[in-house]
Amino acid sequence: MVAIPAPPDRQKPVDWLMDKLLSGQGVWPAVPAILILVIVAVIPFVMLLSLGFSDFSVSRGQIIDQTFSMRHLGNVLTDPLYWTTFQRSMSLALSTTAICLLLGYPVAYLFLIGGRWTRRAILIVTIAPLLTSGIVRTYAWLVILGGRGVLNNALLGMGLIDQPLRIVNTHWAVLIGMVQIHLPVMILPLIAVMSRHDRSLEEASANLGASRMGTLRHVILPLSAPGIGTGAALVFTLSYTTFVVPQLLGGGNYLNAATMIYEQVVYSLEWSKASVMSLLLMASCLVVLVGIALVTNHFTRWTRGRQG
Amino acid sequence: MTLARDLSLASAADAAQVLRIDKVSKRFGTFTVLDDCSIDVSEGEIVTLLGSSGCGKTTLLRCIAGFLTPEKGAILIDGRNTIPVPVNRRPVGVVFQSYALFPHLTVEGNVAYGLKMHGVPRREIARRVADALASVSLRGFETRYPSQLSGGQQQRVAIARVLVLEPRVLLLDEPFNALDAKLRGTMQVELRELIKRLGMTAIFVTHDQEEALTLSDRIAVMRGGRIEQVAPPDEIFDRPATAYVADFIGLSNFIPAEVRDGKVTLPDGQTLATEAQGPVRVMIRPHNLRAIPQGPGPWQGQVRFQRNVGPLIEYTITAGQSDMHVVALRRDRIRPWGEGDAVSLEVIDPEFCKVYPEA
Repeated sequence: MVAIPAPPDRQKPVDWLMDKLLSGQGVWPAVPAILILVIVAVIPFVMLLSLGFSDFSVSRGQIIDQTFSMRHLGNVLTDPLYWTTFQRSMSLALSTTAICLLLGYPVAYLFLIGGRWTRRAILIVTIAPLLTSGIVRTYAWLVILGGRGVLNNALLGMGLIDQPLRIVNTHWAVLIGMVQIHLPVMILPLIAVMSRHDRSLEEASANLGASRMGTLRHVILPLSAPGIGTGAALVFTLSYTTFVVPQLLGGGNYLNAATMIYEQVVYSLEWSKASVMSLLLMASCLVVLVGIALVTNHFTRWTRGRQG
Repeated sequence: MTLARDLSLASAADAAQVLRIDKVSKRFGTFTVLDDCSIDVSEGEIVTLLGSSGCGKTTLLRCIAGFLTPEKGAILIDGRNTIPVPVNRRPVGVVFQSYALFPHLTVEGNVAYGLKMHGVPRREIARRVADALASVSLRGFETRYPSQLSGGQQQRVAIARVLVLEPRVLLLDEPFNALDAKLRGTMQVELRELIKRLGMTAIFVTHDQEEALTLSDRIAVMRGGRIEQVAPPDEIFDRPATAYVADFIGLSNFIPAEVRDGKVTLPDGQTLATEAQGPVRVMIRPHNLRAIPQGPGPWQGQVRFQRNVGPLIEYTITAGQSDMHVVALRRDRIRPWGEGDAVSLEVIDPEFCKVYPEA
């Protein structure tokens, strides 16, 4: 008989913790991530909020005399400038999302029906821009769209226009840049969701008498609803809160919520207003996200009540 | 009486070919998947394409459905070549191996899909969907989604979905693969009865010979893109056209022999007339062999292995160089042979053996 060593009476606390973290039960495996989130996101956010809802004075870099106040929120909500800025942000984000969906969906569809090389090409073209920084891509648009940029030179050379078009520093430049930068974020979830489904569904649809258009409308489109929802939510969130593209392609005079917050923090030192605006930005973003989620849910009722 | 009989005979002859597959060939790159395949299927007939994986059976089915276009040959439905007809206009209904039910549509939505695509009026759709669901006993499941159904129910939805369009030919691609073994048997019988009741013409694809023997009016055994034999199940089993078919369907014993004066001498001394020449292989089914107490006979062996399979006893008997399979019915009064017993073998009915030229 081999003697089995008796289990130690007490585990070391470190072992106990590791055991819990790796056990895969309850919330334990998520604890490290939760800790990091609390430290780097929740605490600073609470501090930021405290600035927005209080009066305070700063002395030698220290906040003193902090008292609760709704004044800043009132100021922001009653000033039409902020309303128009938020409106601009919202319409920019919504049109970016819509254009990304319109341009991205055909690409994802092509990926679905395409051969091996089409698929590879689409993946490369979609993912490659993500490997460069957004700032670099935005500067590239300056080179293309600028007064003596590639586009204007080409149009002038072909004799289509007499004078260079003024694109940079306009709403259009910002929109073009936004769409290009966020397109992959729309295409990738669409591809992921669309290629998850059985290809024989399309064959079944054709066999039952549907044309290509019919199959697209009645089978592929409804089944890609979750992808549309995810893509739209991602693109909306990113473009609603984006800062780099409007700042660079808008030439500093295109104000959206993010660039305005930046100016208030860096130039006008209105931290309280910036704080309130961040809160409003986040809240309005959440409202739209909930809207997207509700619409998506409506179109994906079939995913509920699954067995096994 | 005779008149009625004549009429019925005439109509049987008129039961023209619904589907005619005429010298169809298909290549993928340089690989020939279908090589000169021809089958005629008449009205109300169930034909099974049977073969091991890669024999081209699914490719042939996909050619009939229009998912693939053969390079050569014609596929005629009711006398009209369907090769130029696009997939969504062919009068064929496909039941996919995975069923391919639309997950975002309810049972009712799935069955109504084809009717909607064909622009059938709403009221007629409701009536025909109800009829189709009734024919597969799925009334009451209209509002369920496919993910809420069992495998067998999903299969019935898949069948109702194509039946509702009243296709000329029903194509079923290994429809029982996704079901567990117990359910498979019942569903096979039920499906055959349903197809017969509706008078449908159907092509099944399967690699399971038992399934083919259960379901089919005729079986087409395929091998390497060619059709080896098309015949009713009992003929396929009793008179396999080639050694491959004999080997593929059921268990067989092959014995090398020589033809002399148009006759083959079996190991037990009996002879068998044949038209073959030169070296041949004789196929003897296990149930056409009998193990008897060892006597003076020329064919001696020893029981190597004995297995009880319900009403049957399977023996493996070593005779000379080769192992012979022998199957006997289990009977109360006869004591089965045990392992190691010395026995003599004899062929019960020499006429039942088949002779194939040595490959």
